[in-house]
Amino acid sequence: MASAAKRLEAISGMPAPQIRFDAVTLQLGGKTIIEDLSLGVQPGEFLCIVGASGCGKTTALRLAAGLYQPTSGKVNFDGQPMREPRREIAIVFQDYGKALLPWRTAAGNVSLALEAGGMPSAERPARIEELLRTVGLPGHAGKYPSEMSGGMQQRLQIARCLAQEPKTLLMDEPFGALDAMTRQGLQDEVLSLVAASGATVIFVTHDLDEAIYLGDRVIGLLPHPGRIGIELSVNLPRPRDQLSTREHPEFLRLRRQLFDFIKASEH
Amino acid sequence: MNRTALVWRLASFAVAAGFIALWQLIANLKLVSPVFLPGPDRAWAALVRGFSSGDLWSKLAGTLEHMAYGWLAASIAGIAIGAIIGSSRTMRTYVAPSLEFLRPLPVSAIIPVAIAMLGLTQAMALFVIAFGAIWPIMLATIHGFAAVEPRLYEVARSLQMSRLAVIFKIALPSASPDILAGMRLSLTVALILSVVCEILAGLDGLGHWVLLSARSFRSADLFAGVILLGVTGYVTSVAMSLAEHRLLAWQAAQQ
Amino acid sequence: MTGNSAKALVLPLGVLVALEVWARATHLQSDSLAPPSEIVMALFGAFADLSILAATRDTLFSAFTGLAIGTIIGLAFGIAFGIFDTFNRLMEVTVEAIRPIPSIALLPIALIALGFGYRMEIVIVAFACVWPVLILSRAAVRSIEPRLMEVARALRLPPAQRVWKIIIPAALPRIFVAFRLSAGIALIVAVTVEIAINPLGLGAGIMLAQQALRPDLMLAYLVWIGIIGYALNILLTVAQRRLFGRAALSGDSP
Repeated sequence: MASAAKRLEAISGMPAPQIRFDAVTLQLGGKTIIEDLSLGVQPGEFLCIVGASGCGKTTALRLAAGLYQPTSGKVNFDGQPMREPRREIAIVFQDYGKALLPWRTAAGNVSLALEAGGMPSAERPARIEELLRTVGLPGHAGKYPSEMSGGMQQRLQIARCLAQEPKTLLMDEPFGALDAMTRQGLQDEVLSLVAASGATVIFVTHDLDEAIYLGDRVIGLLPHPGRIGIELSVNLPRPRDQLSTREHPEFLRLRRQLFDFIKASEH
Repeated sequence: MNRTALVWRLASFAVAAGFIALWQLIANLKLVSPVFLPGPDRAWAALVRGFSSGDLWSKLAGTLEHMAYGWLAASIAGIAIGAIIGSSRTMRTYVAPSLEFLRPLPVSAIIPVAIAMLGLTQAMALFVIAFGAIWPIMLATIHGFAAVEPRLYEVARSLQMSRLAVIFKIALPSASPDILAGMRLSLTVALILSVVCEILAGLDGLGHWVLLSARSFRSADLFAGVILLGVTGYVTSVAMSLAEHRLLAWQAAQQ
Repeated sequence: MTGNSAKALVLPLGVLVALEVWARATHLQSDSLAPPSEIVMALFGAFADLSILAATRDTLFSAFTGLAIGTIIGLAFGIAFGIFDTFNRLMEVTVEAIRPIPSIALLPIALIALGFGYRMEIVIVAFACVWPVLILSRAAVRSIEPRLMEVARALRLPPAQRVWKIIIPAALPRIFVAFRLSAGIALIVAVTVEIAINPLGLGAGIMLAQQALRPDLMLAYLVWIGIIGYALNILLTVAQRRLFGRAALSGDSP
């Protein structure tokens, strides 16, 4: 895996971002939610978006997903305008309970993405088993989502997203509803999954520590209307570690800077 | 079933047997004229006689046939129409209020209209049964389709699923508890309307059988027919429960 | 909201206008259909000679009497089953054996025992109305907050007062839901019995109009029966909301 420093170098040097927001403004019901947002995300980059509630961070993610169309400005993916959602972009929703099909087992839920991708049914079982093993759910294939814990359900949703073989993974506060221990475990797993697949990630969270711990870059949005207020490069060594990374002086410095920004933005 | 439940069940059967004995006693003592009330022995004998001569079999088959055809037609049409209306907000705004207005209409009131159009025929009976049975299914389907979790549609969009795939893989399964509940209600409606149509149009079936028996004061045959109708209602509803139980196993897991 | 109710009217008005235009353009001669304007005229005619009002009175009398009897029987058994679990378990098979009999199947029995007229219709309506009330009131009594029953015991209320002062008030919202369901059933069963065999009320009226080859009058009856069904439903829904608040409506599905 490229070091964070190398990645940064690549970012500044590379002119063609995978996802590009060009002066994007979005109005919903007469209210401006996002205003004049410009942003580029490089292939393989892990970008975290933080901000006070109501700053439009989830909205920005939905624009990137193609679930919303900008009122003005452009959202491009691989140089193509985003008109609608596409299979190369997978979304991990925060409310895993609503995003899984309750009438399908774990295997069935993963299968949905494979079916949508047109994989022949004979090849599916092996792939499903592999994906469930990847996210740490081997042996749970026959369970319904309602028989699983919150953490397991979120793993299942991630497995379904991986089944899309996405170039980009959009994650909307994926661990917001989970307890601290589960959350830390999943953070590390997401990091290693992303490292293995090389996918680009946009990760929305309200947890500043999480943003710094995961990201190559952290963007803080200002509310009403949503716009970029701060942009920080995270020069922390990878692979990251729950103890040493969080004690790193750079981590603490970034944390302080981000914390001050959020506090100021709330006034 | 555990032991205590079994004991209770047996006791409950004993009580039911007691009621039948009481019925026999009343009949034997002629507290009610035997013209109106046959004893269970005579009703049973009539059942046996009817089945061994084949008369009751054909009547039962007739009723089941009316019921099944009408109900199946109503199910297919009800789910299809309900799906179209339920999956479109525009359709819901324009059509749903009219349906809500028609819902409390006693469906049997359509019978004279059906007779005027189709005469006292099999087609009339099927139309009436299907018309009556379609409402619960259609309204339940509309409700089920309208209540699909919006997040699932977003999942479907991000997977770029086709419209057909969205209907069969997302909307229909999600609405299936509602649809099955509607189909269960309709089953009762279909049985009642089958009997009414058989009575009115003289179609081969248990409804016609009980009416003829009553007209000629053969009370044992009459009771045999009524008992058979009760059994039909019971068996079809149990069959429906089993089907629901199987199809909605995932819901049981949810609780 | 007003926009939506206007949209709700588009379809029925469109259908009416289309029917009217089609009937006039084709000079419709039919035993089963009539232009809406003639249906309205027939309805006015039936009001003017009071025939439809008399029929309405007959049907509603049978339906409501049957409903009242059925509700009382259903309530008595439902509450008894709800309170005394032993009783409930002992009666289970008997109840399960009688309940699935379609009410209309009793028609021939009622006919030979009671003859044509109100009484046989009332019996059949009552039979049909017993079950929703029995099942739902039993469930309602069972789900009464146990704390309330403990209060009743602590206060040493005698059984009759326990039923009147604790159980019925606590279970009332759900019992009313059952009553509303049963009221709809009562009207349906009454009309059905009249259409099938009993020569009185709205059902007999619509059958007579059909046999007299008066499609306008037949459809006028149909419309009127629909209006009564709708009005009854609205009335009871509003009453329920007034009496028990919106929360009670959520208990609709048994």
